[in-house]
Amino acid sequence: MSLNFYRRVAFGLSPNEKPDKDPLNWAINQLDIIPDLLWPGTIPTEKNLRKKYGEWVYGDREVLRKKFKNDKHAYRKAKDELRIKTGERYFELNEHAIRHFQTKYSKQPVFERFWLFWGNHFAISEKDFLAEFSTGPYQREIIRPNMVKTFEEMVQSVTTSWCMIHHLDNSESFGPNSKKGMEWGETINENHARELLELHTVSPNAGYTQEDVIQLAYIMTGWAHKWDRKNLETGDIWFDQEMHQKGDKIVLGVKYKNDAKRELAKVIHDLATHPICIKFVSTKLCRHFITDEPTDEMINPVIEAWKKSNGNLIEIHKAVITQAYKYNEITHKFHPPEIWLMQLSRMFDLNIPLSFEKMNYTFKSKPNNRQRQLSWILREIGHSPYRAKQPNGWSDLEVDWVSPELLLRRFWFSSVELPILVKSGNRSHNFILACLKNNFEDHENMASLIENFRFGTSNYDLGQKYGVICNLPGVLKI
Amino acid sequence: MNCTRRNFLIGGSTTLFLSGYFPKISFASMQKKNLIIISLRGGMDGLTAVPVIGDKRLKKLRKKLILEDVLNLNSDFGLHPKLEIFHKLWQKNQAAFVHATNIPYTGRSHFDGQNLMETGAHIPYKEKTGWLGRGLLASNIIGKGLAISLPMPLLLRGVPQNNNFFPSPDFVETKLIDQIYNEFKGEHNELIKSTLDTIRQRPLSMQIATDSDDRKKLALEAAKQLKDQSGPRVAVFDLDGFDTHAAQGGVDGAHADELEEVNKIVTILHENLGQAFDNTLILTLTEFGRTIKQNGGYGTEHGYGSAILMAGGLLKKSQVYTDWPGLKKKELFEGRDLNSTIDSRAVYNSAMSICFNQDPEFLRKEVFWGDELPDLSQELFKI
Repeated sequence: MSLNFYRRVAFGLSPNEKPDKDPLNWAINQLDIIPDLLWPGTIPTEKNLRKKYGEWVYGDREVLRKKFKNDKHAYRKAKDELRIKTGERYFELNEHAIRHFQTKYSKQPVFERFWLFWGNHFAISEKDFLAEFSTGPYQREIIRPNMVKTFEEMVQSVTTSWCMIHHLDNSESFGPNSKKGMEWGETINENHARELLELHTVSPNAGYTQEDVIQLAYIMTGWAHKWDRKNLETGDIWFDQEMHQKGDKIVLGVKYKNDAKRELAKVIHDLATHPICIKFVSTKLCRHFITDEPTDEMINPVIEAWKKSNGNLIEIHKAVITQAYKYNEITHKFHPPEIWLMQLSRMFDLNIPLSFEKMNYTFKSKPNNRQRQLSWILREIGHSPYRAKQPNGWSDLEVDWVSPELLLRRFWFSSVELPILVKSGNRSHNFILACLKNNFEDHENMASLIENFRFGTSNYDLGQKYGVICNLPGVLKI
Repeated sequence: MNCTRRNFLIGGSTTLFLSGYFPKISFASMQKKNLIIISLRGGMDGLTAVPVIGDKRLKKLRKKLILEDVLNLNSDFGLHPKLEIFHKLWQKNQAAFVHATNIPYTGRSHFDGQNLMETGAHIPYKEKTGWLGRGLLASNIIGKGLAISLPMPLLLRGVPQNNNFFPSPDFVETKLIDQIYNEFKGEHNELIKSTLDTIRQRPLSMQIATDSDDRKKLALEAAKQLKDQSGPRVAVFDLDGFDTHAAQGGVDGAHADELEEVNKIVTILHENLGQAFDNTLILTLTEFGRTIKQNGGYGTEHGYGSAILMAGGLLKKSQVYTDWPGLKKKELFEGRDLNSTIDSRAVYNSAMSICFNQDPEFLRKEVFWGDELPDLSQELFKI
């Protein structure tokens, strides 16, 4: 088995890891339990960060805008101070550190790859202040615990999470015949219902109609954040009967009797166990781990495992890894920038993220450049994880990640920025050679390409070496 | 004229090369024509951008979204106040609008819709190339596409050696690029190989570090490139944020902010293209319009018919070109959306025929599989 399997299903091997005798077992054994989050620094709860979100929007919208309505300059200044005080510029940086620390040091890196996958399947795109305060904790507290449960349970949690409800506007959706809908002349907002069908479960392959979307939106009415004057839209999610559309609903030909908050769990059960949903999500999993256009032959065993285990994600993940292993030598996969960066970081033990002590934030001044570094790199290489442009998340296709500018960004990072991130004890040529040997079959050929710089340890010399190494065909792709 | 990074680095001076290098086409031949597409992702609301005036039904259904003071176009249509540049160009016959138009897609999914607005096809995800890329290829215009975005938009795929540009923090040594290029020689990956080819021929001005995502700089650089006789002939901008399910607003608000972005880009292009603006067409592209009725969050839902905003010296005249379907319930698509009476692909096909000097019939067959798309060149553009 090629060493690239460790990059296919994980992040490569760090300098102190050695290839396992049985790589398939090594990978499969990582999926049964949820690894602890390793970040020694602050790991704030979702609820806490939502409170900060509330302080930020309330402070800005309700206090500062009124206070400084005639003085734009003073308003801007006060707003910047509020940003610092609420951590509006900080928490996303901390979340990136938590995430990256996990992919770098986890003893279950294969599990972490699935974590990234599900966070992107149930993507939160760039909207309002979600990336700043909410997407990170959502991925930790909603996505992660569900990775050892069933797909259906994951969909239930995601659909009623504050983050997704806010992301897809369900709090603004009123049943037109509900008490509040009638009183205020309000109606549904289809956004969440449509994406629940299209992106999260059955996909357009299920052939649902506009009427199905409307009926599902009816079922979902009432699932909204509690609103009060101080917390604004950041209150907890509850079921507001007075927003809920009364009457029976029909989605994809199935009738859901008028049953208030219980309707949602029933329809999610049907959607999450729908054969087309199973095929759609299995295909996405195979696309992520095997190749851009997986064949039925590759996908079918995953579908089988799904059906046999009633959607148990542990079993599904194991089937995906088994297939990835089976097809490792004959398929290729181009990795998007974030995964590429995480792999480089693990294989070459780069100095990211910043140590947790240095990541510490006092809420008194702007985060410093070092604290911003990892997030800045992610943005510059084109893959800021919590800022997908649209609710379908980041693409998993090579064509979407190959453009002159995107490739140049990788060349830039590996030749200019990466050398700064090489730890002082790791600057020797022998260190690079050992890392290459640990991760690549053709390490000898790779070594020959950087032979000219074997005596150099300056940032410039390291840039010459890493610039080439990190962008070779066998590194950009597996 | 374009000075590539290679030229610069070999010659050591741009002027040296400028003096020693002449474009292949003679000056007597046709002036270069530019086609600029601005993708408006999320579903641009044609009725907010180019509102119909005095429609009682619209007023009733959109109580919170009606614009108070629109710019005047003609007796039937107004213009959103944030689209100032279009209003200014309208006076000079350099702005026009196609209304009640869309790609032939009624499914209301962003992702299917955006895929189809770029491929020009009927089945989502079936085609892997964009109509603009195919149009360039059919017209044998290679290496003249420029995208102002980090990824290469699907719209431009299908023709090799397109370039893209986005301000970057630093520049990369040519030697490194060459080395990586060499290592890919034995590979079968044509996409990466051709992308590396393009990188090696990038104009110097696209290599300079400009650590900023300021739209102004992007548009400025695009204008500079397009102005160049031997530079790109096609540019694609990508805007998102038009999906205003909530707080869409009227004169201000989420949709207005997005229109302001379009306005900014067109303003900069107009200012900086100079004379070249006379040989330019700017067209917007979106996946669908939005519902007539406002929703629960003072926004609108996914709809069908929208509008194309157009600017440039290659327009025939200022006009709102439309076969207006009306807004009565029975006139709406499925009783809720502005209908589309013009296949927007006909507009794009005609625009390509003007800018690429091609027979529209030929393009229709090469690019849109011979779909029935009337030639609108006579009506919309200077021939």
